[in-house]
Amino acid sequence: MEENKNLAVQVPPLWSMIMEDRKKVIAFFKELGFEFDISRFDDRLVAQKLVCLLDLKGINLGYSSSIYVRGPYSPDLTQDLFEFTNEFENLKTDIRLTAPEKEAAGELGRIFGLKPVLLEVGATYGFYALRQNCDPLEALRLVKRLKPFYSEAQVALGISKAKEFLFRPTPKDLKDLKEETGIWQRASLKTLEH
Amino acid sequence: MPLIFMKWKGKFQERTRMQDDILSIINESGALNAKVFSLVRLKLLASLAALGLDGATYRELKAALDINDGVLFANLNVLKDMGYLTSEKITSEGKELELYIITPEGQDEWKRTKTWLCRFLHCGA
Repeated sequence: MEENKNLAVQVPPLWSMIMEDRKKVIAFFKELGFEFDISRFDDRLVAQKLVCLLDLKGINLGYSSSIYVRGPYSPDLTQDLFEFTNEFENLKTDIRLTAPEKEAAGELGRIFGLKPVLLEVGATYGFYALRQNCDPLEALRLVKRLKPFYSEAQVALGISKAKEFLFRPTPKDLKDLKEETGIWQRASLKTLEH
Repeated sequence: MPLIFMKWKGKFQERTRMQDDILSIINESGALNAKVFSLVRLKLLASLAALGLDGATYRELKAALDINDGVLFANLNVLKDMGYLTSEKITSEGKELELYIITPEGQDEWKRTKTWLCRFLHCGA
C-alpha cells in the first residue's frame, strides 16, 4: 500500500509529541530560573509540584498527576527526570513559551518562589479542590491528613498561595467583595473628612 | 453466526477455562515470596513502586498509609532485609529525613505479586 505523505506531515509521530512535552517542561524550568539537580530530593519535589500546578492552571504539559503517598504526583515525569537527567539539568530545549505561558510561569514564580513546602501544600490543595471537586473545607482536611508534618502556618500560607495562583475572582465575586467592603471604605473616607 | 454472539461465546469459554484452571493459578503462587503477603507490606510495595527512583520519606508513608510507627518501621526493615527497599538520609528544607526507595528486585516482586493477584481475582475465586 502506498504511504500517504500528506498524513505523515499532518500527524506527528507519538515519540515526537512525548519529547515535545518534556522540552516544554524544561522551557518552563528555564523561564522560572529553576536549576534542577536530580540528586536533590527537594528539586525533584519542586519539579513535580510545578508541573502539577501548571496543569491545574490549564497548561497541559503531558504529565497527568494522580494522588499517591506524596500527594499529586506523576510517575511518568519521574521516569523522564531520571531518563533524561542531562536535558533537565542543563535546561536543553528548543521550545519557546507563548506569551500566556510566560505569564503563568511568571505568576507561579512570583507567588510560590520555588519553595518546596508551599508548592507541595498548594499543589495538593489545588488538586483536591479542582480535580476532585472537594469544597474548601474538605480540601483543607485532606491536605492536613496527608501532610500532618507541616505546621498550621505552612498549610495556611500554601493554601493562600494556591488560591492566588489558581482561582481568579469572577465578576460576581468582585461585586460581592465590593458590597462587603464598601461600608468600611465609606466609613474610612468619612473619618478622613473630619 | 453474528459477531456479537461469537465474542460473547469467546468470553464465556475463556471464563469457564479460567474457572476450571483455578488450581493451577493457586499453584502458581509457589513462585511468589510469601513474606510479601501482609497488608502493610503490600501497601508499602504498591506505594513505593509507583514512585520509582524518587522514593518516599518515612513521614510521608506514615501519614498517607496511616500506619503506626512500630508496625511501619518493622515492616520497612523486613522489606529492606529482603532486598526490596533501600533507604538513605536526605535533607529537605533543612530537616534530615529517611527516604525509602524500591529496588529493581522489589519492582519485580511487586509486578509478579500484582499479576498473580489480578489473575487470582479475575478467575472468580
